[in-house]
Amino acid sequence: MGSDSITSAAAAAAFSREMGKKKRANRYAKLKQCKLDARREQWLSQVKNKGGEDSNTGSSPPPSLHETNEGNGSLGHLEMRASSGISVHESDLESPRDSLDSSNSDNVLRKDGPRTSTSSRSGSSGCFSGSVSEDEEGDGGPDDWEAVADAMTASDNRQHPHTETPVRTETAVEPGAPKEFPKNGCSVGILKPEWKRTLPRASTINNCRAWRPDDALRPQSLPNLSKQYTFPMNGERHCIRGGSQIWGRHNMSAQPSQCPICCEELDLTDSSFLPCSCGFRLCLFCHNRILEADGRCPGCRKHYSPVDGQMGVSGGTPPFRAARFCSMSSRS
Amino acid sequence: MSAMNCPMSSSTGGVRSWTSTTSVSAWGKRIQKEMAEFNLDPPHDCSAGPKGDNLYHWVSTIIGPPGSPYQGGIFFLDITFPCDYPFKPPKVLFKTRIYHCNVDSNGNVSLDILKDGWSPALTVSKVLLAIRSLFTNPDPYNPLVPSIAHLYLSDRVKHDEVATEWTMRFAR
Repeated sequence: MGSDSITSAAAAAAFSREMGKKKRANRYAKLKQCKLDARREQWLSQVKNKGGEDSNTGSSPPPSLHETNEGNGSLGHLEMRASSGISVHESDLESPRDSLDSSNSDNVLRKDGPRTSTSSRSGSSGCFSGSVSEDEEGDGGPDDWEAVADAMTASDNRQHPHTETPVRTETAVEPGAPKEFPKNGCSVGILKPEWKRTLPRASTINNCRAWRPDDALRPQSLPNLSKQYTFPMNGERHCIRGGSQIWGRHNMSAQPSQCPICCEELDLTDSSFLPCSCGFRLCLFCHNRILEADGRCPGCRKHYSPVDGQMGVSGGTPPFRAARFCSMSSRS
Repeated sequence: MSAMNCPMSSSTGGVRSWTSTTSVSAWGKRIQKEMAEFNLDPPHDCSAGPKGDNLYHWVSTIIGPPGSPYQGGIFFLDITFPCDYPFKPPKVLFKTRIYHCNVDSNGNVSLDILKDGWSPALTVSKVLLAIRSLFTNPDPYNPLVPSIAHLYLSDRVKHDEVATEWTMRFAR
């Protein structure tokens, strides 16, 4: 009885909150869309980099299906969580993105999950539970997911390959298993305190939710954990999320990840671009700019060789092939 | 939130307009990085940092190195970054008067790496180191003030005396 009233009160509170934030969420939806696109682009290029290894992403049965079913079971628990003023609602700025993620996973679920014949309300609570694991990614909480879900429905399909990533990543990383914390540990300090607050609760709730590497129920299409850990995007994303104050640390990795001239990240093309035999790397943009001026390598101050120079100047049209050609020619 | 995502959005290239409001151009990132690295590992006897909130205008000090006639003096420099930095060298100006054949009375410095010898891979920290080494090893063959260079070559003791006197007078 007591828990009943709490649940309904929480639901009512959640509803009014959603209404209040609907406007703002719509405003953010556009912004988030841009960001998601950017992230998706980044992620896709990473996948391309990895070869076909993760090519089955699109068809993978969403892990959120499993989570959500679990979540319906622990609905009361979660509603209790909601009524005790969880951290989820404290960060207004964070919430729209989270709700994007969660709403997307919810949509995935409606599409692919035959077992989820729940009403929209229980669906929402399922979404709540699903996002508990997503919170580990540093996302604040599933606030006005419904509002954003409306905004997102149109572009929903396009988003799937991307938005599934965090879910999949986090289900693979088991919050309860202590041996996996060192990997996570590096990002704990970086992420927002809100995330830290959510983690212990999530680990107690979610202990049975994430798949273990040897779990029989674990979908075959999930990448195995060792691959997951070598996936280059995880660390980078955490670092980026952590804010600009730690980018210097990120920069200390062995491979130069930033152009030494403009300090922008080197993308795939740039990092395969070796314009000078002295080994000084820079991005195509800066290289081109230098060619327009005196055309000397910043590393050794020698003039770039004519072949490289030509390719670099015309590199605007087919940059990737030009870069490949340059690096090959300078190596030979 | 939007500030936090700036590095990400700018790194993907498409949305450069989101770069932080403090940077005047896309190269603000480079200068910010130099500042961070300078603060992490400042060169010996040197300091530098933006003047006010303008990233493109720095103030720097160099302490006269021991063993040189400039010993004990504190020399202030203005560093101005051109808007196409690092493709063009920063402009360095002595704000403290100094008796040196490579620094004229307006504070201009003749230093190879600040002109033709500039490379975009150089940093403020390296420029300051080069200027500091100019204190101990003036270059009288590429002088900005030929009379001082002449004295340096002909009567080193006299040159050092005057330089010490100027240091006492202007750089204390």
